[in-house]
Amino acid sequence: MSEFRELIKSFPKTREYVRDFFVYGFKTRDEFKEKSPRTYDNERRRIESWLSGFIKRDYTEKGKNISLAIDSNLLDTNPLYRVWKTKSFTDNDIMLHFFLLDSLSALEGKTIESITDDILDNYGVFFDSQIIRRKCNAYVKEGLLRKEKQGKELFYLKNPDFQNMIHEFPMLLNAIKYYQLSAPLGMIGNTILDTLSKENRVFRVKHSFFVHTLEDEILLQILEAMQKRCSIQLSIKSSKNSREGTQRGIPLQIFTSTRTGRRFLCLHSCRSKRFTCTRMDTIKKIQILEAVENYDNLKATLQKNHPYIWGVSFQNERQTRMESIKITLHIQEGREDFILERLKREGKGGIITRIEPNIYTYEKEIFDCNEMLPWVRTFTGRIKDIECSSSRLKNLFYSDMEKMYELYHI
Amino acid sequence: MNLFSDIYNCYYQIMKSILKQQTALTLPELRTHITQTGYEESLLYLIPKLTTGEWDLFKQEDGIYLSKISKEFYVPLTLLQKSYIKSILQDERIHLFFSHEEYVRLDEIFSDIPTLWNPDDFYYYDRFSNKDPYNNPDYQRHFRTLVSAICDKQYVDISYESGAGHRVHHHYLPCRLEYSIKNDKFRLLGIEKSKHQKDRVEILNLDRMKDVELLPLTASRLPDINQIIRSSYYKEPVHLLIHTERNALERTMLQFANYEKNTRKVDDHTYECCIYYNQKMETELLIEVLSFGPMIEVLGNERFLEQLKERLRKQKRLSP
Repeated sequence: MSEFRELIKSFPKTREYVRDFFVYGFKTRDEFKEKSPRTYDNERRRIESWLSGFIKRDYTEKGKNISLAIDSNLLDTNPLYRVWKTKSFTDNDIMLHFFLLDSLSALEGKTIESITDDILDNYGVFFDSQIIRRKCNAYVKEGLLRKEKQGKELFYLKNPDFQNMIHEFPMLLNAIKYYQLSAPLGMIGNTILDTLSKENRVFRVKHSFFVHTLEDEILLQILEAMQKRCSIQLSIKSSKNSREGTQRGIPLQIFTSTRTGRRFLCLHSCRSKRFTCTRMDTIKKIQILEAVENYDNLKATLQKNHPYIWGVSFQNERQTRMESIKITLHIQEGREDFILERLKREGKGGIITRIEPNIYTYEKEIFDCNEMLPWVRTFTGRIKDIECSSSRLKNLFYSDMEKMYELYHI
Repeated sequence: MNLFSDIYNCYYQIMKSILKQQTALTLPELRTHITQTGYEESLLYLIPKLTTGEWDLFKQEDGIYLSKISKEFYVPLTLLQKSYIKSILQDERIHLFFSHEEYVRLDEIFSDIPTLWNPDDFYYYDRFSNKDPYNNPDYQRHFRTLVSAICDKQYVDISYESGAGHRVHHHYLPCRLEYSIKNDKFRLLGIEKSKHQKDRVEILNLDRMKDVELLPLTASRLPDINQIIRSSYYKEPVHLLIHTERNALERTMLQFANYEKNTRKVDDHTYECCIYYNQKMETELLIEVLSFGPMIEVLGNERFLEQLKERLRKQKRLSP
């Protein structure tokens, strides 16, 4: 059996495990049927090590359960960022990282030969100049170093210290503290705090779904395709039946729910020529294809559709272009005006009409009314009637209510 | 531009913080430092690398470790990190942090850097529409004053308009600014200054603040607000049974990811979940539970269950 290591070479396999522990933390070894028990043990041990402090261990009749106890409202950073900081490296990598960046300055460049000599003289370690050249060029590509040609010689310089910019713009540090929790790709903001040896003690973020960071590598590639206005091919594994497939389309927007924790890629499908949404956590690989000429037109059309999309569906079961819904609600005026406020701020521009004292209607045209059901249920106790061009929503709402009356002996 | 790169590795960060300490360290001191900053098992891997000299980053003399790296050592930002800053500079909330002049200068500094995304690449489809007035100069001033107060542990005098329209003002020790992605609003988590009461976390909406002034009084340390918040939770959590039809298990686990909770399997079709909450979270939690319909069964606590039943009774009376 190979020696256990905390660090890993590639991220995708780990991503699945961490997500499963985060979402279904209560699965035991026997329930991870897709992997061998030894793989499960190693992955579990790594996750326990990376996320120590957030691990809860319970002992049940079926064995030991571990789960992640991450209450995002109470945290100053996302503990799952730690998972991104586990890339393995060689002994030379880490030594060269420190020697190179210590040896180079932002003002005066050095050649590879002079860097090689410096490292031997000042740090007492000999590296082949080819290894140093490779590392320098890799760091130029990453943006840590830059190179300048003077005559026939190539000089390497370190880029300036970001700390200087923080001295000039102190609030930039606070902005990074805030955005590392609230904006996409927060993991990158968090690494900037690492670079500055700083931590966030100013901001908290509510309704943030920490698990999204596990999709950040995929997200970064999708955003690159969007910046370049290119089409893409996705490799997808269905969350329902684990079936694998591919999908081609033009990526236009990331649709994010602030309530359910779901995140989708909205693309214009090459096959059906329609807008469609794919769950981000089902995308396993992405290949960037050719640039698309009518990209801006497609995006503008999508924006025009926004008021008619409740969630992520662009069509309904009946294949009609639009469905209409009218909900009649009993709202006690004066005492329950906050319900009217809720309808206004959550109802996506639906028309609210006072029919008679304490009775209001909410009306809206939408592509797929069925998506509204969870939201409609939140008004339980106030719904007098539902009229909908799709009978399914109304039937489902009232049959669910019947089940609940039975469940709670009402 | 790689996200999964050794440059951001945890071990690199541990070594940087040790190497930049220009004091001679003993092995137990190295151990302590690694334990404090690394993963749970990092010690097992890192100590042999340092003691055997495989990572020849220290001068070793008689069991004392002295950094070979100068104290001026720094790691510049990568292109990925610069692009991230360029991207956040496009966000409308960035103006809360900078004056117009500062923003223009920053924008100029990052003008040659590519963005990773534009704000309209993301669409938050169920976000509330009544967001805070981020462009309002008073709002921006209050925001900056509160950030400064939190950083300096300084008390503030806040003049506030309550939900009922009453104007009140109190002295607070600001502890955190909380941003809600769903509400698109900031709230202050602060402790009201009082000689007689126990510390209690007060939550104040920034858009209701009429004035915020720094007071010439600082605290020696910020209180542990998590402890205060946790102590405000009801003793009895909400106790739920989740029935797995309509993919409810995964949906509930994601939706309730924000709450402190315990979940366990009862049988192949049912899971049991306990969610911890306080009075301020109660209505929101009740609405979220209702949105699942009969896929979630509330077993307790009695108080929560009664509120749910009351809504159902009302609904039954209203149903056609």
